[in-house]
Amino acid sequence: MKKNIYKGLASLGVILGIVLLWNMLKPQEEVDFSTDIKPIINTNCIGCHGGVKKNGGLGLLFEEEAFADTKSGKPAIIRGNASGSELIKRLHEHDPELRMPYEKPKLSKEKIDLFTRWINQGAKWGKHWAYTLPEKVELPQVILEAGFEPETQSDFIKNGIDNFVYARLESEQLLPNSPAEKNVIARRLALDLTGLPPTQNVLDDFSKGTISYETMVDSLLSQNTYGEKWASWWLDMARYSDSKGYEKDQGRSIYPYRDWVIKALNQDMPYDQFTTEQLAGDLLSEPSEDQLIATAFHRNTMNNDEGGTDDEEYRVAAVIDRVNTTFEVWQSTTIGCVQCHGHPYDPFKQDEYYKIMAFFNNSRDEDIPSEGPVLKFYTPEQKLQVDKVNNWITNYGNLETAEAYKNFLMYTEPVYNAHVLKDFKNGAYDNHASAVLWDDGSCRLEDMTTQGGTSLYLKYSSGKNGTTMTFRKNNAQGEILSRLKIDKTKGSVIRKVPFKKVNEKFDLYIETDNSNVAKEVNLVNLYWLTLLDDIPGEGENGYKNIDQTLMNVLNARTPTVPIMVENPNYMKRSTQVFERGNWLVKTDTVQPTTPEALNVWNEDWPTNRLGLSKWLVSKDNPLTARTLVNRVWHQIFGRGLVSTVEDIGSQSEPPSHPALLDWLSLRLMHEHNWSIKALIKDIVMSGTYRQSSESSPELYQKDPKNELYARGPRQRLSAEQVRDQALAISGLLSFKMYGPGVMPPQPDGVWQTVYSGEKWIESKGEDRYRRAIYTYLKRTSPYPSFLTFDAVSREVCTIRRTVTNTPLQALVTLNDPVYLEASYTLAQSMQTSEDVEGSISFGYEKATYSKITPTQLEALKELYQISFDEFKNNTDSSEPFFHLKKKPSAHLAALTIVANAIMNLDEFLTKA
Amino acid sequence: MDNLEKLIQEKINRDLQAKTRRHFIKNCASGLGGLALGSIFMGCDPLGVPKKQSNITFSDRDLNPLATLPPHFGPKVKSVIYLHMAGAPSQLEMFDYKPKLQKLHGQDCPQSLLEGRKFAFIKGTPKLMGPQAEFAQEGESGNWVSNFLPHFKKVVDEVAFLKAVHTDQFNHGPAQLLMHTGSARLGRPSIGAWATYGLGSENQNLPGFVVLTSGGNTPDAGKSVWGSGFLPSVYQGVQCRSKGDPVLYIQDPDGISRNLKKSTIEAINKINKEEYRKYADPEILARINQYEMAYRMQIAVPEIMDINNEPENIKQMYGVEPGKESFANNCLLARKLVEDGVRFVQLFDWGWDTHGNIREGSIDMGLRNKCTQIDRPITALILDLKQRGLLDETLIVWGGEFGRTPMQENRGNKEMQYKGRDHHGDAFTMWMAGGGIKKGASHGQTDEIGFSGIEGRVSVHDVHATIMHLLGFNHEQFTFDFQGRPYRLTDIEGELIKEILA
Repeated sequence: MKKNIYKGLASLGVILGIVLLWNMLKPQEEVDFSTDIKPIINTNCIGCHGGVKKNGGLGLLFEEEAFADTKSGKPAIIRGNASGSELIKRLHEHDPELRMPYEKPKLSKEKIDLFTRWINQGAKWGKHWAYTLPEKVELPQVILEAGFEPETQSDFIKNGIDNFVYARLESEQLLPNSPAEKNVIARRLALDLTGLPPTQNVLDDFSKGTISYETMVDSLLSQNTYGEKWASWWLDMARYSDSKGYEKDQGRSIYPYRDWVIKALNQDMPYDQFTTEQLAGDLLSEPSEDQLIATAFHRNTMNNDEGGTDDEEYRVAAVIDRVNTTFEVWQSTTIGCVQCHGHPYDPFKQDEYYKIMAFFNNSRDEDIPSEGPVLKFYTPEQKLQVDKVNNWITNYGNLETAEAYKNFLMYTEPVYNAHVLKDFKNGAYDNHASAVLWDDGSCRLEDMTTQGGTSLYLKYSSGKNGTTMTFRKNNAQGEILSRLKIDKTKGSVIRKVPFKKVNEKFDLYIETDNSNVAKEVNLVNLYWLTLLDDIPGEGENGYKNIDQTLMNVLNARTPTVPIMVENPNYMKRSTQVFERGNWLVKTDTVQPTTPEALNVWNEDWPTNRLGLSKWLVSKDNPLTARTLVNRVWHQIFGRGLVSTVEDIGSQSEPPSHPALLDWLSLRLMHEHNWSIKALIKDIVMSGTYRQSSESSPELYQKDPKNELYARGPRQRLSAEQVRDQALAISGLLSFKMYGPGVMPPQPDGVWQTVYSGEKWIESKGEDRYRRAIYTYLKRTSPYPSFLTFDAVSREVCTIRRTVTNTPLQALVTLNDPVYLEASYTLAQSMQTSEDVEGSISFGYEKATYSKITPTQLEALKELYQISFDEFKNNTDSSEPFFHLKKKPSAHLAALTIVANAIMNLDEFLTKA
Repeated sequence: MDNLEKLIQEKINRDLQAKTRRHFIKNCASGLGGLALGSIFMGCDPLGVPKKQSNITFSDRDLNPLATLPPHFGPKVKSVIYLHMAGAPSQLEMFDYKPKLQKLHGQDCPQSLLEGRKFAFIKGTPKLMGPQAEFAQEGESGNWVSNFLPHFKKVVDEVAFLKAVHTDQFNHGPAQLLMHTGSARLGRPSIGAWATYGLGSENQNLPGFVVLTSGGNTPDAGKSVWGSGFLPSVYQGVQCRSKGDPVLYIQDPDGISRNLKKSTIEAINKINKEEYRKYADPEILARINQYEMAYRMQIAVPEIMDINNEPENIKQMYGVEPGKESFANNCLLARKLVEDGVRFVQLFDWGWDTHGNIREGSIDMGLRNKCTQIDRPITALILDLKQRGLLDETLIVWGGEFGRTPMQENRGNKEMQYKGRDHHGDAFTMWMAGGGIKKGASHGQTDEIGFSGIEGRVSVHDVHATIMHLLGFNHEQFTFDFQGRPYRLTDIEGELIKEILA
C-alpha cells in the first residue's frame, strides 16, 4: 500500500489548491495577539520588559502594564495609533542606543508591520490559548478523492482522532502508513496498556480473529496489570519512593499509597475524584481509610532527618514542593519561578505563588523524623477496641470530644511536637525529635492553647527511675497545672495525666527534677504533648476498662502511612510572601487564592485544599484536561501533542494538533466524565495508533520526531518494562500484587548511605520476581539497573523521563544476573524443540512475537555453533556457568547464550 | 630532595611505554583484543551502515551522545579533577592562618557574631578556639600552609587559593548539592554532567564522567551530587568502585569468554542492522554503537581501574593501598583517567565532619589524620600530572561543602569530649591548580578570627563560573531548556574569579 503514496499526491495537490484559494479569499485578517504578537514579544522583548525586569518602566507580560505610563510619563502603546506609539517609533529608530530590541538586530519588516497593524486595529490584548478554555471543534472532513485507494482511508480512519491526524498529513502531503501486522499491534498494545507482552491466549484469539481488536483492548484494560503499568507514570509525578530522602534517607512506610494508586487506576476512578482524594481526601466529610491514604500523595515530599537541620526550613521546603508539584502535575505550569519574582513569561505574579502556598501551608506535618501525622493501621482485634472506645465517647460525650478522640486514635494529632519547646535550662532539643531534660531542667512552650482540655497526653522515654516532671503556668513560679512521676520505660510510651483547666493562651513551663541522678544526665526524652477533654462517663460502669483500653490502643505499635491532616484553628499558620523567595524574609500576609489568569473561583468552594482540588477539576479550568490528555498521549506515542509535556504555556512548543488536543480534552470531561481508561481507549482505537512503525530513511527524515504521525509509535521500553518483559517471557514473573517494596538481587555495596544501618536484604521466593513497580526505591540509591534505563530517583516530581541510549544499558541486559537467569530460563523452554533451528526460532518468536527471518536465524545459529563448540571443548564441569549451581550441557549453555542475545536485540528492547 | 620527587624523576621512561599502549587503545577499537566487530562510527572498519545514507545525515550526537563538541571559546583545560572533602574540612587548621584567634582562644564568642544566626549544633555562647595546627609561609608565594600538610607545602606554588568562599547552606546534604549542582534543592545537573554534556568525551571506551569515592561512605547528599538532573542520564557520573565490579555489570558472567561475548555482540548487531533497514530509526544505529562501546568498556574499565599495573615507584609516590578503597588509590586513578581522556573525574573523600563528638571527628586528632591521608596523594597527583605535561590541560579543584566555625562546638550546650568546630558557611578555603590558573595566587581574605570574608569574597556560583570558563564556556550562555525556560549551572548568578586566572 505504501507505494500508492505518490499516486495520491496528484489528487492531494487539488485539495491543497482549494485550501490555498480559500485562504486568499478570506477577508484581511485581524492580527491576533496570542498567535502573532505574543511570540514576537517572548523572543525579542520579554527579557527586559517582562515579569522580572521592566526596563524603562515598561512590562509586556500583563495588559495593564503594557498600556500603563512608562518612566517617560507616557504609555508605550497607544491603541489605534501606531505612529504615535513610542513602541513603534523605537522599532524603527536608527540610533542603536535607542532602537529596540536593545543591542540586537532590527526586527524584520514583517514583524514591525504586524505590530503596527495590531496597534492600529486597537491593540486588542489576548490570552494565550493555554489559558482559554478548549474550544468545541468539528471533526475535519476527510474528502474522498477519486484515485485514492479507498482502503487507505478506511484502514486508517477508525475514530475522530484520525480525522485530525489525516487532515494534517494531507496538508503536509503525506499519507499514513499501513496498519501494523496483528502480532506487532498486539505486542504494542499489551505493552502500552499492561506494561507486559500479550499472553499467548490473547495473541492467538486475536490472530485467529476469535476476538476483535476492540475486545482485546477492553480485555487488556480490565487486567490488574493495567494499573501496575500506569502507576509508574503517576508515581514519577507523585515522587513516590520508599525512603525519606536527604542525607540519612531512612526508610518510609508509604507503600499503601502506591497500592492505592494501582487500585484507583484499575477501578478507573474518574480523574476529578482521583485528584480530590489525593489533594484533599482528609477534608472530605467522614473520609474513608482509602481517602486518607490517598493524601499521602503530598506526603511523598522529602523529610530531612540530618542532625542540625531546621525543621521549619524543611517543612517550608516540603510545602513549596507541594505547590510546585501540584501545578506541574495538574496545570503543566512551572509555578516555581514565581517563588522569587513574577513569572518571566507566563501571567503569574509573585504574590500569587504565596496565595497558592496558603492552601498548603496548614497541614500538620512538621518535618519531624516520626513523619507525623501518620495513619495507624490497627489489626482487626485492635480495631474492635478502638471502636469500643469511640462508641463510649460518642455515647457519653459531646460531638467535639468524640471527633477529637476519633482522630487522635486514628492519627495521633494535633500534638505539640518537641521542637517547639524553647528556653532550655539543663536540657536541649536533641535534633532527633525529642527534648532532653536533666536534673533541674526546664523549658517552655510559648502560646499554648488547651481548648479547655484537662487530660494531658504526652509521649516520652526514660532510662532513669524517680524523675518528677512538673507543668506550670507561664514560669518557674507559676501555678502547678500537672505533675507526674517518671520511671524507666521500655522504649517510648504515651501517658495521660490530669491537667488543671486553663481557658486562655499561656506559656507552658516544664521542669524536671531527680536529685539521685548526676548533673547533665538525660532524665527524659519528651517527644510531644497535647490536651484533650477527659473521657466522658466517669463513674459509669466500665469507665475504668475503657480508660485502659484507650491507653492500650494508643500505645499499640501499628503499621502506618504518612497522611495530610489540616491544622486545627488554634494552630493555623499565616502565610506570608517571602522576599525574593527567601523563607527567612517574610513580607505581606496573604490568603488562599488561585491565580487570576486561570478559571474563576466558585464561592461555594471551601478555601482550603478541598476547594483547590475542585478548582483544578472544574470544567472551566483550561489546563487540567489538556494536561492529562497531553500526558496520556505522550505515554503512548512517546511525544506529547504539546511536545513540552511539562509545560503548556507561552513558552511551550505549540501543539502539533491543537484542535485534536481540545477535542480530546472536551471529550474527556464531557463525554467520558474524566475516565482515564476511556481516554486511553480512544487513543489506542485510532488508526493513527494502529499504523505500522516501519519507515525508510527518506520518510524518517521528513518527520524524524513523528509529530505528524505518518507512522506508528516506536520507542525503547521503560526501565520497568525492560525488566518485566524479560521475566514475563521467560516465565519467571510473579503476579503477586501490593505490599512493602521488595529487594530483588542487586550488586553488593550499592547501598552506602551515611548514618544508615539499613541494608538491602535480598528477597526470597517469588518476591525476587515481582514486577518492577514493587522494587524498593531508596532515593539516594535507587535500583541501579532501573536508573541505567532512565528511571528516576523520585526526589522531586518528574513529568518526563529522558530516554537515553548508553553502553551501560547493554552491560545490564548482557551481564546482570537478573537477565542471565531470565535467559537461562528461556533457553530451558527452547530445548523442547527437536533441532537447533527450531529451538532458536521458538525462543525468538516467544520473545519478540515475530517470525524469525533467515538473516536472524543465520546470525543466531552461528552464535549457537560458536558457543556450543566452546562449551563442548571445555568439559571441566567444575567451572562455573553464570550463577548456576550445576553447569548445564553444552547445548543448553549455547541456547542460553542465544537467549541472552535475543533479549538484547533492539526489537526486544523496543516497542515497535 | 623529597623522596617523592626523586621517584618521579626516575620513572619517566617506563611511563612512556605504558602511555603508548593506552593511546593505541584509545584511538582505535581494533586495539582491544583484536575486535573483529569493527566500528560503524569510529572510522576503523564500518559494518556496512554508513553514517551518511543517501541524503540522510545524522549528527555525531544522534549516534553517540558522548561525541565531542567544541565549547564557546578556546578552553584552558581538557579535563577536571574535582577533589571534594565531604563533611567539610576546617580551613582554620589547613590554610587560613589566624594568629589573633590563637590569642582569643578560650574566650566567649562575641555576641555580635551570634545574633540572629543559626548554627547546626552550637547553642548558647560558645568559646573561640585557636588554630590547632602550626602554620608557616611556604614556597616563593609565601602562602600559609599548616604542619598537617607537610608534603603539600612543597607544591603550594602550583595552586591558587580562594580564602573567602561562602555558601548559604550549613547542612551537609544541601550544601553538597549546591556545591555540585548550583542549587541546594534536588533536580539540577552536576558540574560534571554539564561538562560532559557540553564537551562530550575524548575517550569512547570509558565513561566521560567518572566518580570515585573513599572514606567508607558516599557523600551525604547521595548520588544526586553527580546526577544529570534534567540533562539526559547518559551525562551523569559513573561511579567506579574499588571493590566488586569497578562499574556495575562490567564483568562478563562466569563461564563466558571474551570471545563468546564478542560473538554475542556481533550477532546482536548484525540483527539490529537488519532492524534498521526496516525502521530507519537512528536509535537503532546508536544502539549498535553503544553495544560496541560496552564491549570496549569491558576491557578498558577494568584495565584502567587496576593500579597494580603501575610501576612500584608511582604506587609509592601516591602511597596507594591496592585492593582497598582509598583516597590515594583514587588520586592515582584520577591521573590515569584524565590521561586517557576522561572529561571529568570527581573524587569524594568522606570523614571530614570534625564536630569533636568522637575521636575520628576531632580537630586535633581526626582532622590531622584525614590530612595525612590526602597530603601525599594530592601532592603526588600535582607532580605526576606536571611531569607528564598534563597539569596544563587539567584543572584540579579542592574543597569541601562549607567551612568550620572559629568557635569550639558545644553541642547540647555542654563541653564536648574532643575539640571540634561546627559547620560554617560564611568563609572557607578552596584551591585550584592546573591549566589557566595563576600559580601561587591567593585571593580573598577573612577577618581576624576567620569568621567572615572581608575581601575577595566569592560564592559557589563564582567558583562554577570559573570552572566553566576554564573549560571554554561562558557560564551565562551555556544553558539547557527545561520546563519552558533555559537553565544554567550558575542559575542567575556567578561571576568569573579573574584574580586567580593566569
